[in-house]
Amino acid sequence: MQGSARRMGVMTDVHRRFLQLLMTHGVLEERDVKRMQKHCYKVHDRNATVDKLEDFINNINSVLESLYIEIKRGVTEDDGRPIYALVNLATTSVSKMATDFAENELDLFRKALELIIDSESGFASSTNILNLVDQLKGKKMKKKEAEQVLQKFVQNKWLIEKEGEFTLHGRAILEMEQYIRETYPDAVKICNICHSLLIQGQSCETCGIRMHLPCVAKYFRLNAEPRCPHCNDYWPHEIPEVFDPEKEREPGISKSNRKSLRSRRH
Amino acid sequence: MLQKPRNRGRSSGHAESVRDSSQGGDARAPRDCVAEEAPSTSRGPGGSQGPRGSSPQGARRSLAAPAVGPRTQKQLELKVSELVQFLLIKDQKKIPIKRADILKHVVGDYKDIFSDLLTLAAERLQYVFGYKLVELEPKSNTYILINTLEPVEEDAEVRGDQGTPTTGLLMIVLGLIFMKGNTIKETEVWDFLRRLGVYPTKKHLVFGDPKKLITEDFVRQRYLEYRRIPHTDPVDYEFQWGPRTNLETSKMKVLRFVAKVHNQDPKDWPAQYCEALADEENRARPQPSGPAPSS
Repeated sequence: MQGSARRMGVMTDVHRRFLQLLMTHGVLEERDVKRMQKHCYKVHDRNATVDKLEDFINNINSVLESLYIEIKRGVTEDDGRPIYALVNLATTSVSKMATDFAENELDLFRKALELIIDSESGFASSTNILNLVDQLKGKKMKKKEAEQVLQKFVQNKWLIEKEGEFTLHGRAILEMEQYIRETYPDAVKICNICHSLLIQGQSCETCGIRMHLPCVAKYFRLNAEPRCPHCNDYWPHEIPEVFDPEKEREPGISKSNRKSLRSRRH
Repeated sequence: MLQKPRNRGRSSGHAESVRDSSQGGDARAPRDCVAEEAPSTSRGPGGSQGPRGSSPQGARRSLAAPAVGPRTQKQLELKVSELVQFLLIKDQKKIPIKRADILKHVVGDYKDIFSDLLTLAAERLQYVFGYKLVELEPKSNTYILINTLEPVEEDAEVRGDQGTPTTGLLMIVLGLIFMKGNTIKETEVWDFLRRLGVYPTKKHLVFGDPKKLITEDFVRQRYLEYRRIPHTDPVDYEFQWGPRTNLETSKMKVLRFVAKVHNQDPKDWPAQYCEALADEENRARPQPSGPAPSS
């Protein structure tokens, strides 16, 4: 029986305002979520103690359960920052995008998604995506227009752009992981450590297993001689640093190893 | 991506033949790309569910118990969930949601329990999100969501802005209309706005295309009514408040806004103040309840 053991929580205006604001953003980093939570308490219940974020969110999720949606926590693939988004548990989803974008725009996204999933690095080049505009469903789209649509996706946090290449935003991964795994079961890559969908990451050159950068960071932390968890071969890549919310800076890879940075995305 | 046929030939209990034959397959056909991308059976009741006792008095407290025939509790919940999300997303655009669209895109072959679904969705929207589902005008068969939480200034920074600067312009126009006796000519609107540096023919840094905003967007969103005045040459139009405005704000609130802008008190405009008071009294009287469709 689904979740009947879990006692259903109670919604107050604090929780409602929080939910409304989260929905407006689409996706939020943890520190912003915490700030938002405090703001909601301030507006509605000044004197109450602010719940621990995890409990606060679990409470809301127990109410959302009957609607088959939940506030999901994820981690950005590039630097391990925790993020939150409201995701659909039941329907698969390009549906949330479907109301904001036209048919040909959605199809462009789908094409970009496929290129990203099929790629070795998790990135699809702008050129390759734009070359597919003739194959789009719906109204004919010119390349110039397609470039703008891609920018719209970036602004709406569905895609990230780096040096002319596109990959999935953490939000898209959170929202669409299930859809992607079901739709492209042969092409998807999975992280050897956390078993979640993997778009960007490092891979073992010998046996091919893959790991997210934050998973690599955690797994090999303080390990002087990192070895592949699967085949035990020497792990050939630079180990990134674990994201530390206290320091609130991006985990770095020392500059002297910029060359191996490129080899990450082979 | 086609929807897996749900409930087809499935004996989930008694008398499903009644529903099956009356619904047939047609109700499913018109679903467009929303449904195409969101086959809701992916993890849903589709094949794996099996015939569950259709006792509506399920363990779930969260749903009231419409007497529904062979659909399972879970199917109902999923349907309500789809409806809630559909309404939330559509309302973000501030365009009133037509009943026909709801039927077409979400309700489909559950249309026999449409009003129950809508009631359940409305309850969830209110309890979970703080939005009230209301019909724009009685018998209009279009709906909007009203936020029952008061907007708060700091929301804007926490929201990081996607909030609308255009609201400012809207408030000014609403104020103008009210102060001028609830109707104003378009020419008068532009005479006023020109003084604020807003022109019908010039791109504005914040508002973009003010003419389109005022004569098209706000009208489409039902904040304003825009009608041609007959026998005018050159053609002139008049503005009035639209139905959404009356639901989302009030004469008193708008009067207070105008007073604040002038650094005065609402009572400094006795005629308008009386009118606003009368309006407040009207609102305080008990309203006919609920969003349930008027048919």
